Amino acid sequence: MDVLLQILASGLTLGAVYAISTVGLALVFGAMNMLNMSHGALMALGGYMAWFMVTGFGLPPVAGMLAAVLVCAAVGVLIYLLIAKPMLQSEGFETRIFIATIGFGAMLESVILMAFGPQPKPQPLAVQGGFSLAGVHLPIQNLLILVLSMLLMAALALLLQKSRIGRAIRATAQNRDAARLMGVRIGVVYALVLGISGGLAAISGITVSSLSSLLPNMGGDPMLKAFIICVVAGLGRVPGSVIAALFIGLFEAVVQYTIGVRFSFALLLLLVIVVLIWKPQGVFGRQQGVRL
Amino acid sequence: MGHRIHRRGMLKGSAWLAGAAAVLSGANAARAEASGEPVPIGQAAPLTDFAAADGVEFRNGLIMACDEINALGGILGRPLEPHFEDTKQMGDATNVQAVQRLIDRYGVHAVINGYNTGSGSAVQDAIADAGIIYMHNDTSSGHGVLIGSDPERYFGSFQTDPSETWYGSGLLKFLSSLTDGGTFAPANRKLAIILSAGTYSSNIANVVREGAAELGWEVSLYETVNVPISEWGPTLSKLRQDPPGVIVVTHYFPADLAQFMVQFMTNPTPSLIYMQYGPSVKSFRDIAGPAAAGVVFSTVIGALQDEIGLDFEARYKARFGDDAGHNSGVQSYNAAWIWAAAAALAGGSGAPGEEEQNRKVAERIRAMIHRGPNGTTRFMPGEQAAASYPGGTDDPSLGMPHQFLQIQDHTAEPVLIAPWPYAKAGFITPPWIRG
Repeated sequence: MDVLLQILASGLTLGAVYAISTVGLALVFGAMNMLNMSHGALMALGGYMAWFMVTGFGLPPVAGMLAAVLVCAAVGVLIYLLIAKPMLQSEGFETRIFIATIGFGAMLESVILMAFGPQPKPQPLAVQGGFSLAGVHLPIQNLLILVLSMLLMAALALLLQKSRIGRAIRATAQNRDAARLMGVRIGVVYALVLGISGGLAAISGITVSSLSSLLPNMGGDPMLKAFIICVVAGLGRVPGSVIAALFIGLFEAVVQYTIGVRFSFALLLLLVIVVLIWKPQGVFGRQQGVRL
Repeated sequence: MGHRIHRRGMLKGSAWLAGAAAVLSGANAARAEASGEPVPIGQAAPLTDFAAADGVEFRNGLIMACDEINALGGILGRPLEPHFEDTKQMGDATNVQAVQRLIDRYGVHAVINGYNTGSGSAVQDAIADAGIIYMHNDTSSGHGVLIGSDPERYFGSFQTDPSETWYGSGLLKFLSSLTDGGTFAPANRKLAIILSAGTYSSNIANVVREGAAELGWEVSLYETVNVPISEWGPTLSKLRQDPPGVIVVTHYFPADLAQFMVQFMTNPTPSLIYMQYGPSVKSFRDIAGPAAAGVVFSTVIGALQDEIGLDFEARYKARFGDDAGHNSGVQSYNAAWIWAAAAALAGGSGAPGEEEQNRKVAERIRAMIHRGPNGTTRFMPGEQAAASYPGGTDDPSLGMPHQFLQIQDHTAEPVLIAPWPYAKAGFITPPWIRG
């Protein structure tokens, strides 16, 4: 029983971390057909900004987190204005923006390295301590991440489904030209989507670094997992990405315990291959239609 | 570089007069300051990506050595001029391209590196083709095998630290010394080995696994983890189901190891925890906090806590900051001094293509017994890798000490607990075992 609970706790923690990493990526692809490969660097920026605000400026943790979210959201908007917007109308936008954001991510990582140095740093936005449940020790930080993840997903779902902005985003995702003809300001929507994605990347960076540490390249691994989850769920499927993230977190924890830690990533990739053969659009994907 | 070091100040350090500084100073004779044509030397180091924390220290170590050597007249009056290339994730192809750029662009006489964990034999081939000298700290048993395969071709390649396999055999000897001497009574004779994928970590783990039974240990878990890893839950569950007397972690990323300790300490087993290299980096203690106290770790190359080592640490931190990693910086620092002293004694170093001169330098390096901040460097014949003490020799004056340290207070530097005669304190039972 205690082993099952431990696996469940580990799996849900991993899944929650993956979910926050993934939705930002899925949101941008769903709205813009854009794979933002600088998402990992944005995560690192968010983690470092929170650290800097708390340890450098002495801000309270919540204020530090909000400041990091705002900075990363602003960088997200800048990505739209400086990189995505100029090439939006060009042929092969998806390929061009894929490569351009790889470059931007590398630059951002280098800036972080120069600004904060290469030594790993502890994330101050982490809650120490835990409690025992049925013989299993559960860290409070892990539970906080799980709760935060659920709250964020619910807020994002509400934003997309119930708000005027959300309707504009969904309309743009379904048919950009039709949305423009209906009076939706496409540029504002895209900037907003990248801003929201940047803010989510900041929160993701803070949660990831609270379980490991701050390093300039810390976003690389979560970004890879987020990309895999997006593919499994179906690129651009926001609700599906959350379910896929939690499933993959549990899948990894079960494989790590029962077969061995070293097999978890290999089996995850095998799972992706099976999914893509079975459903090339991803588990929740459709050839056409509503994505967000 | 902008950091001025004077000859008089260098010569005042009595500890250094016993070592390479005295050799270099004597060879340089009347040359008070290096002022001739610069000698370009190079370093290919992981200045970005996951090993950048060490890569920056390798660069700092070489810069500091160059400044000190130049203050003593450089090499026969020619100042050293260091150049750097980034090896990022340290793949063999990236490493050899970086070294080739150093040779082609700057015409370096020597490449003086810390480690590049992904290196195979490609760099040694590029060095052999250029006929220059290569000093590195890859800590790889593959280096000795390569040199042994063709000593004539690889005359200029030296590994200035012992190979990784000494970690494994040294650990088993260390455990025996603890248990036989009654310093530590393990809960049982089970060993759990946790390693990361990759030759380096696997080689160490395999030596422990293969030698365990002979010394009365049973390997109860042999678990390979993917890196980076932050969620240790499933691995810890296995450890808690069958608690071993000793947990051996041969993975070496400081942040991952710190998370292991944080998560282990939520529900610890009565196991001695040994880790490899990672806890020597200060950020391990920063991240793990109080959970770091009690951890035992070892390194086959690090600054000793003696007169020379502490002097080096003080000068290094005065120059690069309190958080600077002198144990990483010492790798290239020590190697640069060995090469510079040998080159001065050989009558100068050679540029690419001047193989005959560099063969004379290599001869000097092979014949040298060098005492630096990390102890003795003496190259084993046929392998051109540093001998390890006490694993490879029982004479501390002939081998580089395989140092065992323990974090006894997470707010202070780790304490050197072995080997004799360098140890500064005894082993103490970790707090989670004391209860």
